[in-house]
Amino acid sequence: MFLHIYMYRLKCILRDKQNVFWTLMFPIILATLFYLAFSNLSNAESFTEIEVGIVDNEELREHPEFTEAVKSVPDLFNVTYTTKENAEKLLEDGEIEGYIHFDDGLKLFVKESGINETIIKSFLDDFLQTSSTISTIISQNPAAVQNGLPDSVFDRTDYLKAVPSGKAEPNTVVNYFYSLIAMACLYGSFSGLKEVLAMQGNLSYQGARVNMAPIHKAKIIIASMSAAVSFQLIAVTALLVYLIAVLRVDFGNQVGYIALTSIVSTITGVTFGTFISSVNRQSEGVKIGILIGSSMIMTFLSGMMYDKMKYIVHTKVPVLSYLNPANLITDSFYALYYFDTHARFFTNIALLCGYSVLFGTLTYLAVRRQRYASI
Amino acid sequence: MIIKVNNLVKRYDDLIALDHFNLEVKEGEIFGLLGPNGSGKTTAINCILSLLKYDKGTIEVYGRPMAPDAYDIKRNIGIIMQNVAVFDELTVYENIDYFCGMYIKDKKKRRELVEEAIEFVELDSFRKFLPKKLSGGLLRRLNIACGIAHKPKLIILDEPTVAVDPQSRRKILEGIRKLNDDGATIVYTSHYMEEVEEICTRIAIMDKGKVIALGTKDELKGMINSGEKITVEILEHNPDILEGVRSLPNIVSAEFNDNMLVAKSRRGKNNLSALLEYLRSSQINVGRIYSEPPTLNDVFLEITGKELRDHA
Repeated sequence: MFLHIYMYRLKCILRDKQNVFWTLMFPIILATLFYLAFSNLSNAESFTEIEVGIVDNEELREHPEFTEAVKSVPDLFNVTYTTKENAEKLLEDGEIEGYIHFDDGLKLFVKESGINETIIKSFLDDFLQTSSTISTIISQNPAAVQNGLPDSVFDRTDYLKAVPSGKAEPNTVVNYFYSLIAMACLYGSFSGLKEVLAMQGNLSYQGARVNMAPIHKAKIIIASMSAAVSFQLIAVTALLVYLIAVLRVDFGNQVGYIALTSIVSTITGVTFGTFISSVNRQSEGVKIGILIGSSMIMTFLSGMMYDKMKYIVHTKVPVLSYLNPANLITDSFYALYYFDTHARFFTNIALLCGYSVLFGTLTYLAVRRQRYASI
Repeated sequence: MIIKVNNLVKRYDDLIALDHFNLEVKEGEIFGLLGPNGSGKTTAINCILSLLKYDKGTIEVYGRPMAPDAYDIKRNIGIIMQNVAVFDELTVYENIDYFCGMYIKDKKKRRELVEEAIEFVELDSFRKFLPKKLSGGLLRRLNIACGIAHKPKLIILDEPTVAVDPQSRRKILEGIRKLNDDGATIVYTSHYMEEVEEICTRIAIMDKGKVIALGTKDELKGMINSGEKITVEILEHNPDILEGVRSLPNIVSAEFNDNMLVAKSRRGKNNLSALLEYLRSSQINVGRIYSEPPTLNDVFLEITGKELRDHA
C-alpha cells in the first residue's frame, strides 16, 4: 500500500511541468547565470602586480635601503627604473600607475587616485615611518646600532597563527552557490505543499476521496512526503552535479557531507511546505504566495541577494541565524568549505533535523483529523 | 438497514444546514435524495461519510457507528462526488488504479477490477488519456469509475450528472441501474427530479436541511391534492370558456398559453373526461390533448410553496 501511494504520488510530481521547471530547471538556469556573472567578479578580485616607475638618479643611489625595500616586495610591484622624462611619459600613456622620484626627499607622482595608487603611497609611508624611527633611535641611542636594533625595526611579527582551513582556497563567490543550493532544497516545500493539498478532504476533491479510503492517515502522509523528498533529492542532485561537473564550482572535497547536507536540507524543505500547507486554510494560491515569500526572505537573510547580509544577521541578530533554515543550510556548506573541524557543520545539521521533526510533527497534528468543519 | 441517520444537526455558524435530519436506507434499493441546491443533500452525504463534523445526532452504517477510522465500513463504500475528484497528472487507467489500490492490495485482482471499471464506463479507448483531454461527460464517467472500481456494496453518488450531455447522462443512469442489479445499494442525490423519478425506488425530498417527504414516487404523488395537468389545443380561441372550465368540479386553475388551454386538477377520477365533455357541450373544437400526472415538482411545490429550481 505504501509503495502504491508512493509511486503514484511520485508520478504526479514528476508530471507536474510547472513544479519540475521551478524545482529542477530554475535552479540550474540560475546557477548558470550566477556563474556567468560571478566568473568575471572572481577575475576582478585576483591581484596583479602594480606597474611602478622609479627615477634612477644620484639621490636614489644614495639610499640603497629604499631599493632594498622595493626588492623585498617582489609580488607587489613591477618596477621600471628610468629617467624622469620617460617616467612622465609612461605615466601619461598609462603604462605605469605612478612613479617615485628622490628629489630632495621621497616624492610620488600619480595621474589619478585609486586602489593601486593608494598601495604605492602606503608603501612609501611605511618606508618613511620606518626610516624616521631608525633615525630617531640612532640620534638618541647610537649604541643601539651595535645591538642590531635598526634591523629588528624592519622585522614584522604575525600575531595570528595560521591554521589549516579546509581544502579549498577562500572564495566569496561560492557563498552565492551555497545559497542557491539552499534555495533548491527549500523549493521542496512546493512539492510538500501539493502533497498536503492532495490528501486533505477540506482542501481538494481528490483529498476528500482519499479520506474515504480505508487507510490510516499517517501512512498516506509518510508515502506522500517520501515521494516529495525523492523528487526534490533528484532535483538537488542534478543541481550539485551541474555545479561540480559542468560549472566546476569547488565545494572542497567532502562529497559525503555535501550529500548529507542536501538530504537533510531537502527533508527540511519538504516538511516546511507540508507545515505551511496544513496549518492554514487559505487557497492554494495564498499558500504558494506564503511559501515564495518566506523562502525569499530566508534566502535573502542567508546572503543570496547581498553577500554581507549573512554577516549582518550574525552580528546584529545572531538568534535569527539559527531560526532560519536557509541560513543553516548555507552555513553547513560554508562550514564544510572553510573548516577542517565539523563541530559547526554538525550543529547546523542537528538544527535542520530538529526543524524537520518539528515541521513534520506539526503537519501530522494538523492533518491527522479526518472530519472537517466544512468542505 | 444499510444507513440509519437519527436527528442529525449540522450548523455553519448561524446557518442550520441539517435540521434534525433523519434517514434510513435499506439494502438493495436505489434511494434518492431530491432537493434544490442548498437544501443540505451534500452536507448530509458528507456527514454520513464522516468527512464533516456535525453538532448532534447519530449515524450508523451497516449497523455500526460511522467514524473516520471505521475502515471496515469504508472498505464497502464507494463515493462519487459532485465535483470530479481525479488527478490531472494521471491517465484514465492510472487514476482508477490509484484509487482502487487504496482498497485492493492484490495486484492481479486490482488489474481485473480496473479493467472491469473501464469497460463499465466505456472508457476503453481513452485509457491512456489525461483527464484534461476528456470531455465533461467522459470526465464524469472517469469520476464514477474511480468510485466503483473496488466493487463496493454501498455506492453514494452526489449529483453525478451535473453539467453532463444527454448521451453521457443516459449512460450514467443506465450504469447506476446495472450496479444496483449487480447487488449494490445506491444512494443518489440530485436536484433533477426526472432522474430521481426514473431510477430511484424510494425518494426523500429535502428542503432547508430537513426531509419533508419520503416514499416511493407514487406514494409521494399520493400525498398531495394536485391531480393531472390537462392541456388542450383550442382551435377557435375563445377566452370566455375559461370561466366555464374553472367552474368544473376538481379543476383548480385554468389559463391560456397561446391557443393551448392548460387546466390543473385536484386529485380525483374522470377529470379529463369531464373537461372534454364540457368543451364538446360548449361546441368548442379541440385539437391535440395531453394529460400529465403530477410530478415530484408538484409534490415539492405543494409542500413548500416553491418550485425545484433546476430541471434536467
